[in-house]
Amino acid sequence: MLKLLRSALLLTAVCLPATAIAQDVTTMTPEEALPYLDAMTAEELLPLALKEGQVTVFSLSSRIARVEAAFEAAYPGIDLIGVDLSSVKQIARIKAEQDAGVFAVDVLYLADTPVVYSELLAQGRIHNYLPPRVAADIADELKSPLTAHRLSTKVLMYNEAAYPDGSPISNLWQLTTPDWRGKVLMVDPGQRGELLDLLTEISLHPDEMAAAYEKQFGSPIAVDSDLQGAGEQFIRDLFENDLILVANSDVLNESVGDKAATNPPVAFGTYSDRRDNEDEGWALQVANDVEPANGILFPAVLTLANKAPNPAAARLVIDFMFGDDSPTGGPGFAPFNVPGDYATRSTITDDPDSVPLAELNAWTINPAAIAAARGRIADLIITLQ
Amino acid sequence: MTSKSPTLASGSRLFRSETVTPLILIALVAVLVIAPLVKIVLATLTPDGLAAWQAVLASPLSQNLWWKPLANTLILGFGVASGCLLLGGFLAWLVILTDVPAPRFLGVLSTLPFMIPSFAAALAWGTLFRNSRLGGSAGFFEVNGIAIPDWLAWGLVPTLIVLVAHYYSLAYTIIAAALSSVGADLIESAQMAGAKRPRIFFGIILPVVTPALIAAASLTFAGAVSNFAAPALLGLPVRMQTLSTRLFGMIETGSGERGFVLALLLIGVSASFLFLADRVVSGRKAFITVTGKGGRTKRFALGAWRWPLFALAVLLGVGTTIVPVLVLAASSLAPQSGALFSNWTLHFWIGEGGGQMAQGQAGIFRNPVLIDALWNTIKLGLTVAGITMVLGLALAHTIVRRKGTLLANVLSQLAFMPLLIPSIAFAAAYIALFGAPIGPFPSLYGTFALLVIAAAAHNLPYAVQSGRSVLGQVSADIEESAKLTGASAVRRMLVIVFPLAIRGLLAGAILVFVKMVRDLSLVVLLFSATSPVLSMVAYRYASEGFMQFANAITLLILVICLAASLVAQALQSRVQKWKQS
Repeated sequence: MLKLLRSALLLTAVCLPATAIAQDVTTMTPEEALPYLDAMTAEELLPLALKEGQVTVFSLSSRIARVEAAFEAAYPGIDLIGVDLSSVKQIARIKAEQDAGVFAVDVLYLADTPVVYSELLAQGRIHNYLPPRVAADIADELKSPLTAHRLSTKVLMYNEAAYPDGSPISNLWQLTTPDWRGKVLMVDPGQRGELLDLLTEISLHPDEMAAAYEKQFGSPIAVDSDLQGAGEQFIRDLFENDLILVANSDVLNESVGDKAATNPPVAFGTYSDRRDNEDEGWALQVANDVEPANGILFPAVLTLANKAPNPAAARLVIDFMFGDDSPTGGPGFAPFNVPGDYATRSTITDDPDSVPLAELNAWTINPAAIAAARGRIADLIITLQ
Repeated sequence: MTSKSPTLASGSRLFRSETVTPLILIALVAVLVIAPLVKIVLATLTPDGLAAWQAVLASPLSQNLWWKPLANTLILGFGVASGCLLLGGFLAWLVILTDVPAPRFLGVLSTLPFMIPSFAAALAWGTLFRNSRLGGSAGFFEVNGIAIPDWLAWGLVPTLIVLVAHYYSLAYTIIAAALSSVGADLIESAQMAGAKRPRIFFGIILPVVTPALIAAASLTFAGAVSNFAAPALLGLPVRMQTLSTRLFGMIETGSGERGFVLALLLIGVSASFLFLADRVVSGRKAFITVTGKGGRTKRFALGAWRWPLFALAVLLGVGTTIVPVLVLAASSLAPQSGALFSNWTLHFWIGEGGGQMAQGQAGIFRNPVLIDALWNTIKLGLTVAGITMVLGLALAHTIVRRKGTLLANVLSQLAFMPLLIPSIAFAAAYIALFGAPIGPFPSLYGTFALLVIAAAAHNLPYAVQSGRSVLGQVSADIEESAKLTGASAVRRMLVIVFPLAIRGLLAGAILVFVKMVRDLSLVVLLFSATSPVLSMVAYRYASEGFMQFANAITLLILVICLAASLVAQALQSRVQKWKQS
């Protein structure tokens, strides 16, 4: 009932002319103003945000320090408190805090969306916010249930110095053949959520995986009786082909990317790590022409904490982090504008050196479907180790 | 001493300090340790939690989720504990009880490895022994034509070696503190009675330091079973999982309940071993050696073995300290992590920003946050070490003086548990407990105080175990004579117990300080101010891929820890002036 009322209020807020609201809102108490905030522009939010004076942001990226500097330069008088926390820790902390009746955080910037949807959003611990200014620039599927800020990757990477003619892999099923035994690396999906999401997404495309199998081996796939579909069969075959698990992406990049290596392995890694090639002496490159896909794209979302203590400043920060209308996104987005990551705003252009988003042959994850299937795949992986 | 204390006869006695102190302590421990533990237990009794119990213990997954990791964990725990006792005990004997050359130098060298993060030792191992399994550049030995088999490069064996190399200094610190209180009078009387060296060793020294050996074994065992970095870096490539890697993975991939179930089981298993160890000590008579008189330590002449043993100790120190430090130092100087020993530059320490190097980032000493972080770190380390030391002394005193009683057993078990509780669960429980205002007390959420309380509880085992091992040797006679002359409990503590036990207490305080300065996981969950601590700065750099900066800060942390331990040594010799005869 309350929810209904709220959305009704929101609707009226959207319909009313924005200037009229701004005048009203300045005379309202913060509680009264709350329902109107979502529809307000940055200029309208600013006086309210200045009154609040500060805003706390949890961020999965340490680049929040650079956002802090840029934000405080753009909006002097509002103190941005940026706390660098992994997605898992943000989730643990927000749950513990809110259960204790502490509402200290305004904005969460995090990935791990399958868990976020089921453990935070579904329980009303966070709320979606889409800054009206950028609403038209973002594809519909990236606006709800939470608004994505950018897309990161876990895709197949190879060594372009050792394979100058392009990726040695053109079909995921090649990774299960004797040629690649002990030569495929990934960070342990039992340790890191993104990799578990990758394998889960593969399991959610059984038909495409079956078709790719037939293309590779010339005969239809026979799926083991205890498994559901070709995707799960791929996971089992991959593990049984001596898939090598490592602890972190540093180890992975060094093993795959080393420029001097002969016959190096391939790995499921992060496309944007390619930006370190020159500094580190690596030759990492994405394998894009892979049947049926080379991996996943997953969103990092910007979201409001429930009962955020500084609701106007919180919205102002989110608006700011989506960047200005220039092709680079300006100072608000600059810290996140790295090749291999993709802005969700269509006005921000992709790095010229990287594969454009439209051409990247990766599945964009479906967090709800992954959340439902994740446990099963996690259990499957445990039995394979 | 328990036999002397009369049973509680009347209500008025309840208010005497002997009864009140343990009650306060029990209350403290209940808040600090039991409450978070209960929170975690409750989290595993929800429907999801019960499903997790079943998945872990009775499902097709149990084999890989619980039994195999348990086996690996126990092998590591017992292997590391015995390895550490051997190495740490040998070094402590050499440094404290023999005329080996340069004992102070050896002493400092032997305390260093614990200050180096275990991932550095694991990386050092990789630099030397890495084989072709992962591709990339090969290790030192393979480059020089010596093939390294998988079992030596990855898995249980290297993890065991690396963990022993990391934790033996913990054993050294505790055993050395206890050995230094073996008075010369004991050994001299044995010599006069004609006892041979092995007999003195097995008949006097070993029994006297047994509590210290047990304390060292428990702490190194707990350290080994809860260590994550070494088994993850060295074990995963051959799919070796331990309970700690499983636990971390479960929490990290969103099945927290399974993680908590594993943690509780781990606590159960470790507690039962600890209980057995406790029985072993309680079952025999205690040997009281610190009596207030004498206290000089007697040094054995090593004769022809003097230099060979010195060389062996130095070799140990170099292998476990200098090599990892060199690897850290080299990686803070080398622009490319794959080529550690070429193109060295000081850019990552003092370089100006804005150039091509490191995406225009300036060196760590030009980072304005660093000085702030440095002070925060030292402040946090000192506060936590101080509080933990006081609390640890009180607890250890009660445990030792009431040895064999139920109270002592329960307290000693409880004081040990925080080591095994995963910090993410610990921190979450603390937020839940102190986030809301309790009665007249305001909410502690986001305050330095909350961080200090949680950290003190988390590090309590170090202070209690090291305090216990030394207090166990302090004679109760002196205290009782003081009591007869009317000295209050606080005064007795300050004037008698504290100076006599100072070495063990400082050893514990240093361990806590080191843990606090270099640990991240607890701090990161409870700190909400922007002013960070050093480990957070290092983490920020590392998560951006700037390992050189991160390693430079790790070296800085090492220097701070080293300085702290030298200060502690100086302090100790000032308090225990009677030892300088």
